[in-house]
Amino acid sequence: MTDKIDNEIVPLHALIEGKESRAVLADMQLKPENLPKIFSTDPQAVKLGAKPGDVIKIKRRDYGNAYEIYRLVVEEQ
Amino acid sequence: MQAEAINYIRFGIISPEGIKKMSVAKLTVPDTYNEDGYPIDGGLLDQRLGVIDPGLVCKTCGARAKTCPGHFGHIELVRPVIHSEFSKVLYAILRSTCFECHRILLDPKQVQALTDSADSEAHEQGEEAQRSNGRRAQVKGSKRCPYCKAAQPKLKFSQPTYFNIGDRRLKPDEIRDIVSKISREDLALLGVDLGISDPSWLVLSSLLVPPVNVRPSITLESGERSEDDLTHKLVDIMRINQRLEQNINAGAPQIIIDDLWELLQYHVTAYFNNETSGIPPARHRSGRALKTLAQRLKGKEGRFRYNLSGKRVNYSARTVISVDPYVDINEVGVPFAIAEKLTVPFYVTHWNIDKAREYLKSASYPTVINIIAQDGKRRRVIEGNREELAKEVAPGHILERQLIDGDIVLFNRQPTLHRISIMAHRVKVLPGRTFRINYCTTSPYNADFDGDEMNLHVPQTLEAQAEARLLMDVQFQIFSPRDGGAIIANSEDGIMGMFALTRDGTYVSKDEATYLLGIAGIYGLPEHSKNGMYLGKDIFSMLLPKGINLEAKTAYGAIKIKNGKLIEGAITREAYGKGNLLFERIVSDYGFDRLREFIFASSKLADAYATLSGVTVGVKEYAIDEELEQKRMKIIRDTFAKVSEFIEQYKTKKLEPFIGYTLRESLERIIIAELNIARNNAGDTLVKHAGAGNSAVEMARSGSRGNVLNLEQMSMFLGQQATLSGGRIKRGYYTNRVLPHIPPNDIAPVSRGFITTSFYSGMHPIELFMHAVGSRGSEVYKALLTGRSGYLYRRLSNALQDYYVRKDLSVRDVNNNIIQTIYGGDAVNPLMSRFEKKASE
Repeated sequence: MTDKIDNEIVPLHALIEGKESRAVLADMQLKPENLPKIFSTDPQAVKLGAKPGDVIKIKRRDYGNAYEIYRLVVEEQ
Repeated sequence: MQAEAINYIRFGIISPEGIKKMSVAKLTVPDTYNEDGYPIDGGLLDQRLGVIDPGLVCKTCGARAKTCPGHFGHIELVRPVIHSEFSKVLYAILRSTCFECHRILLDPKQVQALTDSADSEAHEQGEEAQRSNGRRAQVKGSKRCPYCKAAQPKLKFSQPTYFNIGDRRLKPDEIRDIVSKISREDLALLGVDLGISDPSWLVLSSLLVPPVNVRPSITLESGERSEDDLTHKLVDIMRINQRLEQNINAGAPQIIIDDLWELLQYHVTAYFNNETSGIPPARHRSGRALKTLAQRLKGKEGRFRYNLSGKRVNYSARTVISVDPYVDINEVGVPFAIAEKLTVPFYVTHWNIDKAREYLKSASYPTVINIIAQDGKRRRVIEGNREELAKEVAPGHILERQLIDGDIVLFNRQPTLHRISIMAHRVKVLPGRTFRINYCTTSPYNADFDGDEMNLHVPQTLEAQAEARLLMDVQFQIFSPRDGGAIIANSEDGIMGMFALTRDGTYVSKDEATYLLGIAGIYGLPEHSKNGMYLGKDIFSMLLPKGINLEAKTAYGAIKIKNGKLIEGAITREAYGKGNLLFERIVSDYGFDRLREFIFASSKLADAYATLSGVTVGVKEYAIDEELEQKRMKIIRDTFAKVSEFIEQYKTKKLEPFIGYTLRESLERIIIAELNIARNNAGDTLVKHAGAGNSAVEMARSGSRGNVLNLEQMSMFLGQQATLSGGRIKRGYYTNRVLPHIPPNDIAPVSRGFITTSFYSGMHPIELFMHAVGSRGSEVYKALLTGRSGYLYRRLSNALQDYYVRKDLSVRDVNNNIIQTIYGGDAVNPLMSRFEKKASE
């Protein structure tokens, strides 16, 4: 079976440190809850061992355009 | 706009005590005015409920009409009635509880399971869920109470307010007694929000009467008073209430009392909702159904959709639109009658006070209608105070000046489906009674001049005017936000005229040249002339920006513009706006203003030349000669031969199926492809044969109107008629044929909707039928599609309406939530996508 997490079409996820995430949020003038969300039960979050409140950086490549987005880890409801 | 977070809204039911607390007067007289025309004390227009007649003083708050907000009163009902809008709730509660011990019809285990799941849910959803832990216990068909073991009678509920056990009717007071014996715990399980609601309050013993402001009476010209529908209904309620009381006091038989009671119930039900199912609507004397409380709120003309979601605005005008090719594309011709009524604020400052005086002193248009002082007081400027005001005017005053040429206004045509349905135009005051627009701007509005009306709004602040000028001006909307293609451009005759002028071999005399350029607004002549004749291309080049260069290939041929001169090729629709070649170059090198000037000038030039040279299309353009007829027949014959060959291969199983398709499906695809080839073939043959000089072909080639397919269908043959699913027509008779005139199971082209005749030659009856099948299909589809896609778009735009692109190119909502980290994933502004510019530019 193919690996659903390490597949090449799945963008790279990375957990970022509190310091970096604060810098990112300040840069975008955001509160953490303004970020898009990701469930802590998401396979990527599970793999990274992310806890609710952490911020995950996702490197995406759409239309040949590389960019980064950030998601706040939240508990699944 | 900063959105303030609302924590929660809690809806409850008003209690009898609540009604008494709210009420300022108990109403007892079922009438409105006495003989002297004064409101009766204790009547429905009691002066304690507020006043609406000028001069009277409210007996509750002491204010006069307009300032008195109105006050509620109440009616004490002699016998209680059921609130018809909640009768289903009462039914659910009655059915779920024991008639003997009034406990919920669930055993302790079931109750525990219910509270457990409710608790865990409340835990997960936090505080919010706990508050309204409305979980209605599902109790179904219990025959016996799990607590007192009493057998449960079968309760029958019938709309709108009747409860029966067997033949016996449960009266509202009985129902109230039953539900008030249910314990608080059980009520909570049933989903009752205790504290702000209680099932016993659903049985009304007093009725709240809205203030007179809510139901004003109208005085007719004859001096007669006409009461509001609500007042009429309240009079009915009070009358029956009074009669019921008299009968009870007189010791009337029970049947009479019950009848009156039921009548009272009916009137109260109709008062809440006159469209309650199960009751005949109460009617006015004229036979019109009364508009009671629910009718006031409901539907398109109800309070919500008519008055709250939609409001009327000032500083706006609406009239019929008509064309004027000499009105610039960013102008709008405004009738004088409208210009003199609409006003624009003129902010008086130290620097423009002389101009302000000039406007004030002017007795005729353009003049000042109102003057607003620093304290916000508005005074009307009339003949008598004109001079005086001109002396008094000072910086800080605001004059409301009549609309004049050059004022910026917003122009709109409904349905406002996209942002370019509202654009900013400059005012041009004209005689007449219609708005005038340039025909190049009809396409964004989807307007035509068969009686369309449009709306005009005057921005009232300098900020709004600046925004309109900088963002909404017509020239900035030339390119569509959908795909970046031009939507504001010359079309039809305008394209034809330009094409005819710029095609090889067009020369005009000096007189004609000056005439054409004069109309286009250019004074001068091209440098080169030959025997006093000027080349059409050179005339056109006069409109181009100086020094512009363009080399491109179009379907019609190469086009070459060098140093501001058209050297090679003719200007077709493709070369011009819709294909974007010329427009794109002008806007990227010279800007939107220059592009607007070019479109305006070229449209005038093209119209003038088309008028001068004349363009004719007649039936003869679509007739075909013997030679072409032979070619047409050959195409059809060859195609049919090929198709029958494939059918033969299919029958003998020699046909190779496509991957993923059955043999039959593959055959169908091959046939459809073959018939399409035949049609394209016929089109090419026609264009080659008719060629230059045929105005119909020229029209198609220049892009002014029609395409090759249209010509082909008119002159050669119509070709395959398709159903919506894209397949050939096949349904009809169970013998697998469309019509009884066709052999069963025949799949030859003509049996499945291929038409070999043209619009010019006329169709055979079977072909006509096939054509009608296709037409009917597309007509139905069109009707369904517009409705659906319209509603889809409405939901989409409402959902997206206050998202915006921030400077960092992220898309956010009003609470600063990120919707997209980068706009569209690539930050490309589709409007500018051809120039590879980002959303921020």
